[in-house]
Formats: sequence, C-alpha cells, structure tokens
Amino acid sequence: MSNAIVQQRGIGAMIWDYITTVDHKKIAHLYLVAGGLFFLIGGLEALIIRIQLMQPDSNFISAGLYNEMITMHGTTMIFLAAMPLIFALMNAVVPLQIGARDVAFPFLNSLGFWLFLFGGLLLNVSWFTGGAPDAGWTNYAPLSSTSPGHGVDYYVMGLQIAGAGTLIGGINFLVTIINMRAPGMTYMRMPLFTWTTFITSVLILFAFPALTVGLFLMMFDRMFGSAFFDVTAGGNAIIWEHLFWIFGHPEVYILILPVFGAFSDIFSTFSKKRLFGYSAMVFATVLIGFLGFMVWAHHMFTVGLGPIANSIFAVSTMAIAVPTGIKIFNWLFTMWGGSIKLSVAMLWALGFIPTFTIGGMTGVMLGSAAADYQYHDTYFVVAHFHYVIVGGTVFGLFAAMHYWWPKMFGKVLNEKLGHLGFWPFFIGFHLTFFIQHFLGLMGMPRRYWTYFEGQGLATGNLISTIGAFLMAIGTLIFLYNVIYTAIKEPKASADPWDGRTLEWSLPSAPPFYNFKQTPLVRGLDPLWIEKMEGRKGITPAEPLGDIHMPNGSILPFLMSMGLFIAGFGFIYQVDNKLWFIAVAVGMGLFFASMFTRSFKDDLGYHIHKEDLIEKGDGKE
Amino acid sequence: MHLHKYEKIWLTFGFAALIIFLSVVGVSAFHQGHTPAGGLQKVDPDNLESTPPFDKPGVHEKEDGSYEVAVVAEAFGYTPGEIQVPAGEKVTFKVTSKDVTHSFSIVDTNVNMMVVPGQVNEKTHVFRDPGKYLIVCNEYCGSGHHFMSMEIEVVDQ
Repeated sequence: MSNAIVQQRGIGAMIWDYITTVDHKKIAHLYLVAGGLFFLIGGLEALIIRIQLMQPDSNFISAGLYNEMITMHGTTMIFLAAMPLIFALMNAVVPLQIGARDVAFPFLNSLGFWLFLFGGLLLNVSWFTGGAPDAGWTNYAPLSSTSPGHGVDYYVMGLQIAGAGTLIGGINFLVTIINMRAPGMTYMRMPLFTWTTFITSVLILFAFPALTVGLFLMMFDRMFGSAFFDVTAGGNAIIWEHLFWIFGHPEVYILILPVFGAFSDIFSTFSKKRLFGYSAMVFATVLIGFLGFMVWAHHMFTVGLGPIANSIFAVSTMAIAVPTGIKIFNWLFTMWGGSIKLSVAMLWALGFIPTFTIGGMTGVMLGSAAADYQYHDTYFVVAHFHYVIVGGTVFGLFAAMHYWWPKMFGKVLNEKLGHLGFWPFFIGFHLTFFIQHFLGLMGMPRRYWTYFEGQGLATGNLISTIGAFLMAIGTLIFLYNVIYTAIKEPKASADPWDGRTLEWSLPSAPPFYNFKQTPLVRGLDPLWIEKMEGRKGITPAEPLGDIHMPNGSILPFLMSMGLFIAGFGFIYQVDNKLWFIAVAVGMGLFFASMFTRSFKDDLGYHIHKEDLIEKGDGKE
Repeated sequence: MHLHKYEKIWLTFGFAALIIFLSVVGVSAFHQGHTPAGGLQKVDPDNLESTPPFDKPGVHEKEDGSYEVAVVAEAFGYTPGEIQVPAGEKVTFKVTSKDVTHSFSIVDTNVNMMVVPGQVNEKTHVFRDPGKYLIVCNEYCGSGHHFMSMEIEVVDQ
C-alpha cells in the first residue's frame, strides 16, 4: 500500500499523514483499507453462517449467536464494506476523470471517511460488550424496538454516525461533479463512471435522510421512552418498514450504479471501442435512479397494503428491468466487433454479465406481487440479492480495483494471480447461491438457525457451504496478489491499458496536485482523441501557474471521535445517568472542533510555478 | 449533443418498450383486478382476549357456508396450534400478532401474510386437496423463529 517516500519518513509520520490528510487519493486508500477490513469481517461471519447450515440439526453456534451473525453479516457488508469500497473508487477516480485537482470540499471528504470508520467501529464494539444487534439487518420494529440488551442500540448509533459520513460524501461528489469539471468537459462528455457517481450521489442525498429519520425514531423509542413503533401506545410498527425501505431500495441502486459505470469504462477500454450507446447509457442510469425511489414497497407485498398499492409497486419494479436491459445490451454491443483484451478486469466484467442477468431475472420474478407470495422470505430471496450484490457490486469492485490499481498505487496487479483468483471466486459464488434458489423454492425460509434431517435440504446446503469456502479462497488469492504486487511488481506506466479517459494521462500514481495544468477536454474519451491525433498528452487549458492546495487537518478525526464517545454515552445512559458525562465529553469535543474549523481561517498554501517546473511532469 | 442514428433507434426502442411494458402491466393489474391480500383493520394487541374474532381463536362457520379462521401469532407459536378445515370451501384467514411481527405462510399455497401487531391481515383460500398443510413463520422474529409453526388438516366433507 505504501510507496517508497512514505516508508522513508517512518511509520509514525505516515499514520499522522493519513489521519490528517484531505487528499482525495489518500482518502481513497483509507476507504479501501477500512472497507476491505470490514469486508473480511463480514466474510468471516458469512462463513460461520454457512458452517452452521452445512448439515441438519447443527449446533456449531447457538441460535442467539446465529441471529447476531446474520444481522451483522448483512449490516457490515452493506454499510461498512460495499459502500466504503465504492467510495474508495469514487475518491480515487472521479476527480482525475473530470480533470480536477481534488474534490470540492476536501475537509468534508475526510470528515465523511472518519465518520464512517468510527460508526463502523462503534457497531462492531458490540461484539465485546454483551452481544451484537440481533434483529436482522432490516431491524424491523417491534422486534428491534423491544430487543433486550444493547445490541440494537449499537446498530442505531453506529449506523447513524456512519450514515452521516455517507451523506456528506454524497453531497461532496455532487458539488464536485457539477462545479469542478475541466474546461470542455460538458455533461455529455463525462466518462460513465463519473456519470454513475453523479446519479449515485443524488440517490444518497435523497435516500439517506429516510434512514436518518428512521434511526432517530428508533433511538428515541429505545433510549428516551417515546412510542413511535409501540402499537399498544398508539404507534405504528409498519412506519419503520416504510422508512427503512424508502432508504433501502435506493441503497441497492447506490451499490450497483457506480459499478455499472466502472464496467462501462472497462468494456470500452478493453474492447478498444467507444462505448456503444453512450447517451442511452446515461439516460438509463438517470431512469434507474428515478424509478429506484418508487419501488420500495415491493419488499412489503405481504404486509397487506392492499391490491392497488401492491400492483403499482409491482409495475414500477418491473419497469426498472427495461433501463437495466438497455445497459446489458449496450455492453454486449460495445464488445461486438471490438478488439477484446482479456485482462483480469475484463474477466470480472465478463463474469458479471450472465451473473447479474440471472439476478435481474429473479428480481422481476420477485417483483410480480402475486408470485412473490411464494418466494417471500425464503432462500430464493437470499439467492436473488446475492446474485445482484455479489454478482454485481462485488464483481464490479474486483474489476474496478484491477483496472484502477495502477492509478491508486502505481503498480499493475499481477495478471496471473488475478486470473487464478477469479476462478475459485466465480465458481464458488455460483455454487453457493445458485442452489439457494432451489432451496427457497423447496420452502426453506431465510434466517432459520437450523433444519431437520429428511427434509431434502441437506445436500443443497452442503453444496452452498463448499461454494462459500471457494469464495474465501478466491479472496485470499486476491489479498496475496496485493502483497505480491506491492513487493515484486515494477512501477506502472502512466497508461498501462491504453486508456481513453483523463486519468490515464497522468502518471501512476498521480502527483498530489493531480494536474499540473488543467486539461482541455475536446470530446468524449478525451485521451483517446488526443492519441488518435498523434499527440502525446492532453492539451492544457491554462498556462503553468501557482496551484492552490488545502492544508491537512486533524479536526475531522476529532469530530468523528467525539461522536463515537457520545454514542457510548447515549447507549448506556439508559442504565446509568452518569453516562451523560460521556455524551457531554463527546459532543463537547465535536462542537469544539467544529467551532475551531469555523472560526480559525485556514487558507491553504500554494505550490509555486518554479517548483512545478523543477519537478518536471510530476514523476519523481 | 450529437446522437448517432443507431443510438437514436436504440433509445426509441428503449422508451417504446418502457411505455408498452408499463401499459400492459398496468392494464392487466387494474382492469383484471388482481387482488393480493389486503385490508386495513386495526386491533389492540393487548386486548385480543376481548376482541372478536380473536377472543375465540379457531375455525368458525359463517352463515353463507364459508369459513373464517382466527389465528393469533405470538413468539414462538400460533393459537390454535392445529385446525381442521373442509376441502373445497372458502376459508378466510384472519391473523394478528400479540408481540412482534411474524408471518403466516401456508406451504405450497399462495397464502403468505405478514402478521403485524395492531393490524389484522386476511386472505381467502380454497383448499382443493385434502391432507396436512404446514404453516411456518418466515418473518424473522427472534431466537425461536425456526420453531414457529402450526398445522392445518384439510378433510373431505
């Protein structure tokens, strides 16, 4: 992960550098490492679940612990692994793709990361303090609002803090993409990954407040004696389900759209063709984002909302299949007649198409309300969303990481090890989840701790568990590849894939100010245009001049730590009012840092023109 | 913004597909009156003992010859735990919960309802084949979730 210069300065300086950094490229590293760590924790929880279900009448873990495992697996994977890994890519790539020197609000960018990390840590501390949350990742009231112990309190506080970080990140990317595009980079010239990041940020902006509201209501129900979800006191338990899914369904698109963008860039790069139907792709992305807000109740068909509501939501759900289908065909048409190079990134992208299509197809099946009564809360649903989230998001993350690794860390991941890691993961994935469709159709409900012998479920579950271990092997090979590449592989060239977009015009890894001179964009795939006209690099849009850079700051770290401390105070003040001291200390730290930030001018610094000329083009 | 001819055709195709698809599904849903389970009856979960029909959970024959089954779900079981209904008759299940959200799903049928405290969910079903039907809770409800079940015996008249 580290480069030579950092190593020379010692480990302490490096840690301080990362804690205070506001550089989007370093924040991307932080997101990647933290998200990767939570991905491994979530994966471990998945393996424990699969071992428990490997055979009938299993007693590997107790029913209570099993419930904590399923809850934490879902919560960790969605909020603490998939989201931050996507943010890692957005941070690493989007400013480079639009020709910007950083995001619009570097300080907020850092704050977003630390809020996520401290929220995630708070949630996982619950394992050591008397039990993790156990009400399912959907946390349905009143099971959650009446759950004994503090597990669900950790869920509420942890996700509230992490969610604030995500919201900040989303707003930051919206402003960045609207305001900071290089001259000539019109909306319809933006690379697809930038486009999907843009739409994803809109979704974050509108979806996360619903979660925030839900979590606040839950917090007051559990900690301060309100009765929003208490039916006996006139509350309504269904409100939670609505709030959760008004957030939860757009969240699915928040997870999938960015990797759609990454796949689009990968397909066109490795097919050596302009993306087929660029404008159709953009419209499809916008349409998916728009329709994504009108389908939440398809998670609630069995609640009894009535035929009209169910029909409307069934219709809108199926409608999403149309723009998604447009995208799938566009990728196929992009490859058609292209000169395809089977790199590891392309391999993951190719694996994604059939896998995701299966997931989309079962999605339409689940979306038809009348049929959903057969599938609801069975393993069919589990199979469906793993096909979408693993087959879509996780495959996409692997593809994108192999693709952009040279831009992030200056080295190309070893291709042989990449191919070697793909196959166990790919085969393991289908072994694990394909059979679960049939387990579901045979009647195996989800979230069951165990099942009896002689119900015909044993073989399917055994196959599923074997597949899970293959996926673990694939992940380990990837980790080995990361270490191997860091030690053995040579430094990558600026443009190892013969790329088409702006990020490949910069050295790998780029200098901390990204662009010495802001580039001039003359069309879609700007670097490709310059290459086709025989130029070496991008034409600059400005003369060489001083570059204004922001200073690093420890304040985001302190603010997040303040909320982390206050979180414990809120959770435990139910038992003992003395814990309000922790609330006061934490919130004090938070507001003091905020005050410092607001009233102490920090104008940043300039890199002088002379220094830029001395350094050449930024390559050391 | 320049659009290639093929892109225009492709976009038109996409939008046309979307419109046709929405109209077809919309017409079939509303015009043909598909009716999944529904109803918005409220009930006080603390006073089920004195609220009909949940004061007497079980099978009741109604005047028109159809049957009504009142079921109360509670962690981790149903009251009553076993019932008998005749084959070929309309059976309306009315379910509610005393504590948290459960579900009432009869395996191999289209009856699958969330059982929400404070609300009555109902669904009518005709059992054609006699035999024993398993009912499971598939809405995650806590540590005994996997135990929660009841049985319906459908008998010939």
